[in-house]
Amino acid sequence: MALPHFYALVLFSFLVSVVFGAIAKDTPRDRLVYGAKSFGLFVGVAVLIGWIMYFLPR
Amino acid sequence: MPKRAAEEAVVNDRSTAQPAAGRLFGICAAGWLVPGCGHLLLGRRWRALILFAAILTMFLFGLGMKGDFFLTSSDSYLQKLGWLSVWCVGAPRWVAAFFGYSGGDPFFVSADYGTAFLVAAGMLNVLTILDAYDIATGKKQ
Repeated sequence: MALPHFYALVLFSFLVSVVFGAIAKDTPRDRLVYGAKSFGLFVGVAVLIGWIMYFLPR
Repeated sequence: MPKRAAEEAVVNDRSTAQPAAGRLFGICAAGWLVPGCGHLLLGRRWRALILFAAILTMFLFGLGMKGDFFLTSSDSYLQKLGWLSVWCVGAPRWVAAFFGYSGGDPFFVSADYGTAFLVAAGMLNVLTILDAYDIATGKKQ
């Protein structure tokens, strides 16, 4: 199974965020918010770092 | 008493009771062997199911992408840590080995991602064990 970079990133972020959301916080709503925030940060920071690396000389 | 308050009272009763060391060890060992099983023993069925599904899915994707299991015989500390991480996922690692998966293919295009998935699955299982421990000792609901 060969996943493209971005799909692997999104899948990884989603699964880790699900676990983070499940074990953090106390109410279901807080867990959902925390998981969604975690997922967004995973993907957002990875894309940001990717763009920063794009401008670095190779 | 509203239903929600009654459920919280039951949870509080559970959390204030300190479990015996043997039961605590059993919960952690079960959580290690089968991801989410510690939570199941503590009565958190939905959380157990979510953790089990997420960790097992991650592990299976790691296998599908031909991730590496690492060897203990390596001189590299990082590789030994990698071996420990995959070992932390518990029974799924042994089941994979039983069915002939011995370590993936380093030349496969997604092998590095697969290794990251396998290692992360083990680390997430450690987090779930610690979470089950905290619930069992009453530090957390």
